[in-house]
Amino acid sequence: MIAKVYSSSIVGVEAREVTVETDIGGGLPGFNIVGLPDTAIKESRDRIRTAIRNSGFSFPAKKITTNLAPADARKEGASFDLPVALSVLSAEGILEYPDLSDYIFCGELSLDGRLKPVRGALPIAIGLTNMRKNKFILPKENAKEAATVKGIAVYPAETLKEVVDFLNKKIDLKAQAPNTESILKRNSKYKIDFSDVKGQEHVKRGLEVAAAGGHNILLIGPPGSGKSMLAKRLPTILSEMTIEESLETSKIHSVAGLLLPNKVLVGTRPFRSPHHTISDAALVGGGTNPSPGEISLAHNGVLFLDELPEFKRNALEVLRQPMEEGSVTISRVANTLTYPAKFMLVAAMNPCPCGYFTDPKRECHCSPIQIQHYLSKVSGPLLDRIDIHLEVPRLKLEHLTDKRRGEPSEEIRKRVDKARVWQKERYANTGVFFNARLESKELEKYCLLDKESEELLKLAILELGISARAYDKILRVSRTIADLDGKETIEAHHISEAISYRSLDRNLWG
Amino acid sequence: MGRENKDIGQSGEKAAAEFLKRKGYKIVGSNLRTPFGELDLIARQGKYLVFVEVKSRSTDSLGPPSLSVTWRKKERIVRNALWYLAGRGRAHSYWRIDVVSVKLSASREVERIEVIENAVEDDGY
Repeated sequence: MIAKVYSSSIVGVEAREVTVETDIGGGLPGFNIVGLPDTAIKESRDRIRTAIRNSGFSFPAKKITTNLAPADARKEGASFDLPVALSVLSAEGILEYPDLSDYIFCGELSLDGRLKPVRGALPIAIGLTNMRKNKFILPKENAKEAATVKGIAVYPAETLKEVVDFLNKKIDLKAQAPNTESILKRNSKYKIDFSDVKGQEHVKRGLEVAAAGGHNILLIGPPGSGKSMLAKRLPTILSEMTIEESLETSKIHSVAGLLLPNKVLVGTRPFRSPHHTISDAALVGGGTNPSPGEISLAHNGVLFLDELPEFKRNALEVLRQPMEEGSVTISRVANTLTYPAKFMLVAAMNPCPCGYFTDPKRECHCSPIQIQHYLSKVSGPLLDRIDIHLEVPRLKLEHLTDKRRGEPSEEIRKRVDKARVWQKERYANTGVFFNARLESKELEKYCLLDKESEELLKLAILELGISARAYDKILRVSRTIADLDGKETIEAHHISEAISYRSLDRNLWG
Repeated sequence: MGRENKDIGQSGEKAAAEFLKRKGYKIVGSNLRTPFGELDLIARQGKYLVFVEVKSRSTDSLGPPSLSVTWRKKERIVRNALWYLAGRGRAHSYWRIDVVSVKLSASREVERIEVIENAVEDDGY
């Protein structure tokens, strides 16, 4: 008899339906799984056989053939244990209601028949409706994660026996109640706040502008000036995550196995800060069994690259395409997958190898050649994608001893939110969502300058040696500053503030 | 030595056949020659046709008798069985291979006997 059970594999971060068919017949007894399974699945035969026996059923001494369809797509991981075991039991006639076409099953089995959590439960739950299924049976540990998706019934189970009894209508499994909003709300608090940072008002303002317009940003300053501390707090002033954004990001974290049982939705914007020794595969994703990289884990959040010039050139170069497209495509011989990767880039660097070039108190020991060499490690094309350069000066003593706290993140976020709303309305139906995505042609249309500001910009180009490339960036950033100011036309002081965020263009050093 | 081993084998097979009968197997053939070797016992149990390999020993110094079914022997047993079934057009019926392990004393008394059902499986890979 042939039995069919449905499960799902994950390609990139999307779920794809897999039909698990099992035929039991005569011949030399044996158990084979076909349909491009990986080693973990091939080994599952022994887990499944033992788990079935230890759940109180007998494992048929017959020729058993299990097929994972579609046969041409590679399947991996242990999450097929449960559906394969069920299809064997169904083919053997142990399931009394063999029509399981409403269900998706996932779960790893241990030898005693218990279910163990799997990776990627969330993307499968999201994909369930597409697969025209409405019931999802999975290990208890994954249930909360899957139940954040609306419109499906999620049944947590602890053992194979429990699933069989449930399908035979002997016992009832309690469906996990959906609670997306409350989980999101519970997880959306940050532990850090901008009010922790003393002084550095200029930098905070720069970060506010960056947050409001979605601009990538480069922080330049001597060691100990608080670059990382400031960058870490950037997510706290970005608009709160919507449910859709949270699900998107959680999906990626689910595939990477980063979701914890007590934190099943990513509620705060991710802040990823990979070490500068990272390989390009770890940064953008990949590997033989492709998994999402840091830039995808930072989806809808912030990617922080500290000590930018120390990163391998390769690693920085591979960033360019994802930054442009908001996603990264990984091609392998067998297949091509795409991971979403919309992030704000925050990079930090010292002004020179010793770090003290811009420091008024300490002398810099670097030769001009050394500084030149250091700066040239950051490639032009990458700098092209960074709208704002901010100098982070060393903290003054009076700021350090100041007892007053800075402005809290919440206040800043209110202004950022307002500016974002403006942008959304202005760019409705254009495919652009915020200022950083404006291209030259759109800049002409949306960045109206008054007379005075036009003069100022001309002067800046002539006097400060600002390139044509930087011109677009200044326009983009001034657009954001005007939005924060609530003005439709860009004024002179918006332009001058934007120019102040272009330190690297002003040829101060290097 | 050779002569003695053959004796042990024959006593073991006799003991195995009786043991299986007591367990409800119906013996349908024994010591059947095939081009690849020999089938010790053929029995029927329910819907299964069972090919039985009997391993007998009089000493434990080489480990329990059942351990002496090596990969090569397994393959030989399967081939014997397939030859038998093919001749009768029944390769896709329900059949399996059991191993009966017999431990004999020096005086050919059965000390221990056990059957391992479905001892040889198709691993596929």
